[in-house]
Amino acid sequence: MTAPTTQKTEVQTSNTPPLHVENLSRVYPSGEGQVRALASFTHTFPPGMTAVVGPSGSGKSTLLNLLAGFDTPSTGHVRVGDVNLTTLSEPARADFRLAHYGFVFQNHNLVSILSAQENVEFPLTLAGLPPRERRARARELLALVGLENRAGHLPNQLSGGEAQRVAIARALARDPGILLADEPTGNLDSKTGELVLSLLTGAAAEGRRVVLITHDPEVAALAHYRLSVRDGVVTAG
Amino acid sequence: MCLRDPAPAPYLRRAYHLPQRLGGSLSAMKWTDLWGLAWRGLTRRRVRTGLTALGITVAVASMVIFLSLGEGIRKVFVEQLGGIGPDIQVSLSGFTQGFAPQPNLPDRAVADIQALAPELGIKTVTPVVMTIRGSLDVSQSVVLYGLPAAQGIGAVFPNLSAAQGRGFTPADEGQGVAVLGAKAAQNLNLKVGSTLNLNRRNKAQVVGVLAPESGLVDNFIFLPLKTLQKSEGAEGRVSLVAVKLDNPRQAREVATSLSEKLDLEASTQSDFLSFVERALKISDAVRFGISLISLIVGGLAVANTVMMGVFERTREFGTLRAIGARPGFVRALVLSESLLLSLVGGVGGVIVGLVGIWGVNLYTQKLAGIDAAALTPRLVLLALGISLFLGLVSGLLPARTASRLNITEALGRV
Repeated sequence: MTAPTTQKTEVQTSNTPPLHVENLSRVYPSGEGQVRALASFTHTFPPGMTAVVGPSGSGKSTLLNLLAGFDTPSTGHVRVGDVNLTTLSEPARADFRLAHYGFVFQNHNLVSILSAQENVEFPLTLAGLPPRERRARARELLALVGLENRAGHLPNQLSGGEAQRVAIARALARDPGILLADEPTGNLDSKTGELVLSLLTGAAAEGRRVVLITHDPEVAALAHYRLSVRDGVVTAG
Repeated sequence: MCLRDPAPAPYLRRAYHLPQRLGGSLSAMKWTDLWGLAWRGLTRRRVRTGLTALGITVAVASMVIFLSLGEGIRKVFVEQLGGIGPDIQVSLSGFTQGFAPQPNLPDRAVADIQALAPELGIKTVTPVVMTIRGSLDVSQSVVLYGLPAAQGIGAVFPNLSAAQGRGFTPADEGQGVAVLGAKAAQNLNLKVGSTLNLNRRNKAQVVGVLAPESGLVDNFIFLPLKTLQKSEGAEGRVSLVAVKLDNPRQAREVATSLSEKLDLEASTQSDFLSFVERALKISDAVRFGISLISLIVGGLAVANTVMMGVFERTREFGTLRAIGARPGFVRALVLSESLLLSLVGGVGGVIVGLVGIWGVNLYTQKLAGIDAAALTPRLVLLALGISLFLGLVSGLLPARTASRLNITEALGRV
């Protein structure tokens, strides 16, 4: 991964699978009626960082949930390369996420009983990587996010910014082609937020498809591409 | 591009060459990693986990102690009575009247059996009168065992010998003399020269005390046959006839012949042991039933602890699922926690049970000279097996709940 910077960077040529959504929509039942959380949306996410902006309740998180396969769309599908994520079984979708996705949540969501290093190792443990290899990989990633000296600390012994950096290291553990980040700087001060964003832009610059959910225009300005969501309708720019 | 056979990413080439995934609900994660994670999940709430494990420990310990009583008594009968005593017991009603049948068999049966001795390979024939002298105070209960003084105690119990005084001589027949088992002498506070009150009209003088045998025989008081017959008002009648054979392996065949020829119940040692086994099985079932209540309570405590853990860690499980854990992995993790918790409780229960058994035996040794409780390998296996079963059953619902969590709801992002 390239050195962290908060400047918009050039995107390297990518060999990661394309992320494409086709006629994607989500409607929730509400009483006797229905609530449209996401209107029909077709888009191919290019390599680099795509910011999805919009006010609270606009449908940003619904889109992220569908992209990740956490939720099933009412119409359409999510396709990663040749694989239609929507039609996969629950275990197959989990395997697919493990192999191709990385996640950064607003509240870092680290496993509280595991140290920073063990949290980073966890996706590799799930994948059955031998302990020595996964430890080496976790140390490498913790060094990348500048936390090699905090490897043995539990999440409650880390600051919010440190925990979020560990979460980014965990998201990168299996070198995924797709990185989904949901308001990753939402709970951080501006300086720490900048550091976290620099890591994400660095990951995007290497050709990954980074989808960044944010309501902050300044954060969105760092992305290579931008989608706006309002009342469930997604528009470019 | 086909993702089913993805090209290794340049950043982590080796990560794509992972071991073949296991089928079913678990991913390629190793069991040791899973159990390690489960253990850490349990130890995050040490007090709650400790109290729940203690609950299981108490439940399993009570079951172990309850069932160990049956095991101990079984051991006493099999190891101590099985090896000695007659090859065949002939009586009017077999074992249906229990350990000591009433003296209701006319003593001419002795002559009838004696007459068949050459034909059936019978070595000795010993008429016996048995009666249990019970008391509200268990330590004062004894078995009165009458046999011909001329044959002596060795005719039925060859291993017994007098530690003080003497055994019977032919001249003792019909006389008021008694030889006491070691525990009976101790409990009744009698020694050689003391007088034993059989009832208001009949007394016996203690002429000998036997060496301790660590068995039920220690609670026997031996009397000459006619003395006990007179004392019990059973002149001309016996409880049973003890038969020793030239070849004890033919006991079954000889017993069948005796039954048919004399129209009496003839039982072998193995009949006696299976009678004991049947009686113990019934009492085992009753004792297990009682301990089942505490086991169920312990199981509910495990279920409660694990379920609370699932509720508390909803977001965490959601995160695990989000980053690639299969539902089966979450299910296995929660089940592992439940099984581990029960196993710890089960092992603790066996250890506490062992201490309890030691206490029980200390008491029964003092009381009757026997180890009434015993921890046998099958009891240990049963205790651990039941603990694991309890953990499995208690963990099923929480595991199912955890594995079916909706990821978006679990992450708090509906």
